[in-house]
Amino acid sequence: MPWSHRGNAMTGDRKSSAINNAPTNVSPKKLNRRKFLVKTGGVLAAGAFGAVPLRGWAADPINIGALYPTTGSMAQIGTGCVAAAKLAVDMVNEAGGIKSLGGAKLNLIVSDVQSDTTVTRTETDRLISGNKLSAIHGCYASALTLIASEVCERAKVPIISGSSSDQLNKGRTYTFTPFARASQFAKAQLQMAKLVSEQAKVAVIFENTAFGTSTSNGLKELAPGEGVEIVMFEPYSAGFTDASPLINKVKASGANTLFSLSYLNDLILIVRTVKQVGLNIAINGGSGGFVMPDFYKNVGKAAEGLQGVAHWNHDVNDDAQKVNAEFKKRTGEFAFEYAGGLVAQTFMLADALERAASADPKKVREALSTLDVSSGYAAMAPGGKVKFGPDGKNVYGRPVGVQWQNADLASIFPKEDARAPLIKT
Amino acid sequence: MWETLAQAVINGLLIGGIYALVSIGVTLIFGVVKIVNFAQGEFVMIGTYISFFLATQFGIDPLVSLVVSMPVLFVVGVLIQHFLIRRVLGPNDMPQIFLTFALSLLLLNLSLMLFSANYRTVHTSYSDEAWHIGGLYIPVAKLIAFAVAMALSALLWIFLHTTDLGRAMRAASQNRDVAMLMGINPNRVFAVAFGTALALAGAAGSLLMPFYSAYPFVGQVFVLMAFVAVVMGTLGNVMGALIASLMMGVAESLGIQFVGADSGLIVVFALLLLTLAFRPSGLGAKRGR
Repeated sequence: MPWSHRGNAMTGDRKSSAINNAPTNVSPKKLNRRKFLVKTGGVLAAGAFGAVPLRGWAADPINIGALYPTTGSMAQIGTGCVAAAKLAVDMVNEAGGIKSLGGAKLNLIVSDVQSDTTVTRTETDRLISGNKLSAIHGCYASALTLIASEVCERAKVPIISGSSSDQLNKGRTYTFTPFARASQFAKAQLQMAKLVSEQAKVAVIFENTAFGTSTSNGLKELAPGEGVEIVMFEPYSAGFTDASPLINKVKASGANTLFSLSYLNDLILIVRTVKQVGLNIAINGGSGGFVMPDFYKNVGKAAEGLQGVAHWNHDVNDDAQKVNAEFKKRTGEFAFEYAGGLVAQTFMLADALERAASADPKKVREALSTLDVSSGYAAMAPGGKVKFGPDGKNVYGRPVGVQWQNADLASIFPKEDARAPLIKT
Repeated sequence: MWETLAQAVINGLLIGGIYALVSIGVTLIFGVVKIVNFAQGEFVMIGTYISFFLATQFGIDPLVSLVVSMPVLFVVGVLIQHFLIRRVLGPNDMPQIFLTFALSLLLLNLSLMLFSANYRTVHTSYSDEAWHIGGLYIPVAKLIAFAVAMALSALLWIFLHTTDLGRAMRAASQNRDVAMLMGINPNRVFAVAFGTALALAGAAGSLLMPFYSAYPFVGQVFVLMAFVAVVMGTLGNVMGALIASLMMGVAESLGIQFVGADSGLIVVFALLLLTLAFRPSGLGAKRGR
């Protein structure tokens, strides 16, 4: 938003100084919203306690911090994450809480990081200093999680995250990432191209900023090793008005699979244009916005048969299906990758708390580092097992290849995780 | 090769039609009211949201919702002219620039607050359709948008050249003071010009909806091209803006096709620089001026 920056530069006369004062007028409102969220979280927790007969030795609740953007540009996924986090805490508490701590209940403390890196830093600080936390989870968006995890490392509070950035596994001891890493996604995509055709000819189009260029370079490096030929490798400027010229080029390249590393709006245009051109090509839209319920709502039938990759999918096992059904009941949407992953993460925390028999964050970290599960909600992930290596990475973590089939995401890759056959378009 | 070239030209012309609606609005306001409306893109955005909500709430086809978005934005334009622009018209340009710029920021952030940054699309029966002729294809939604854009441009041209009000607008754009001396009411003329320009932006928004998304920044994508076209087609010249817009569309498309997918704008701006070097007043300027 270069315009708004210039807007701030407008100083000088009385009117514009009023503009400059605006932020101070806004922040108390946001503070109130935060307080509101914290309070509602408290009220919900109180409601949960009401159901249990209070005994003299009733255990203190265990505070779990949740850092998600519930306002700003990332709010849509962020609010979905909060809904999933609440569902997960309810599930743990309904099952009797943490038994080694006298049946202590989990108490979720939600904090809005407002889709902003600076706010994420201050909010993480505030959440840790203002509450006695045993662990934190968040923030879904890698850019925000990187910052939150730095703060958590310094404060020595464990953070468990569904974010896929490989950077989260570098030089950190309090950060745990139970799902596939970004570097694994590229490999999975290339292998999926070979499902479409033994002679995989891939056209890679990518938006020309950090996200597109870094991911596309990963694909380019791995392609020869996977026996995939890249016949077109083309950057484009995000936010174009017309995808036709680009698709014209893809058509001319003779590719049989198209990897589109794009933001959602561009991807929608690309998918529609491929359809209009009548080009018969398998499209792999990658992860992120592509594997969200909203994508199908926006693209409609044209999304059928499109492939992507995710770190979690709701059909991986029966437990995931149960979570999906409950999440659908609460929100009306299927449990997207971050939502389902978050339920698994909460159960991983519960497992660690159970074994640590303590709410002390350092002891919870110790217990997380020796976590080793292969059944139950905590193991509800592609691969079906969770065990953290010294870098906080799940040694069994792998992505799952998905395809849009009948308005739903079906797991199709790898073979062990496939729950539906690949539909060739 | 020829097929690819022809396809690229078709693609460029079709999207150029949308650029034309936006740039004609900008150039009309500049020609008549003598201010640069930086907020033009945001009115396109409002047009897309009007069509989006009419389509999702009442099931109205985005093309039909043109009959709502255009009058609504016309009235908005008249009101903005009457209550805001009129007060800053004077010898000094700065307040006008700040006013329309502030309007742009306000509308942009207001829509972010109200609608969030999510992309919203409308799916019509013809959204994914295309006609195939030989090896070429023509997307139906874009062809309709192009045809309506050209029809609206033609209507505007007829209005400007055959009606009294239209002639008064052209007179005011040629020489405001003399026009006033001849008994033309400038406030009325300005209000109609501003309203018409915004109605065109609204039309652009509605026409976009079957094949593009509604989101707060949508206007900024199109307004950049519009400003280039306005300068290239000579400031204030409606026909010049129209022709320049189509040229920009084709230049962008050829650039993406033959230079590189991230080089569409390079070709556009190279063309602009060349035009300015050889015809500093733009393509629409009368020779010898």
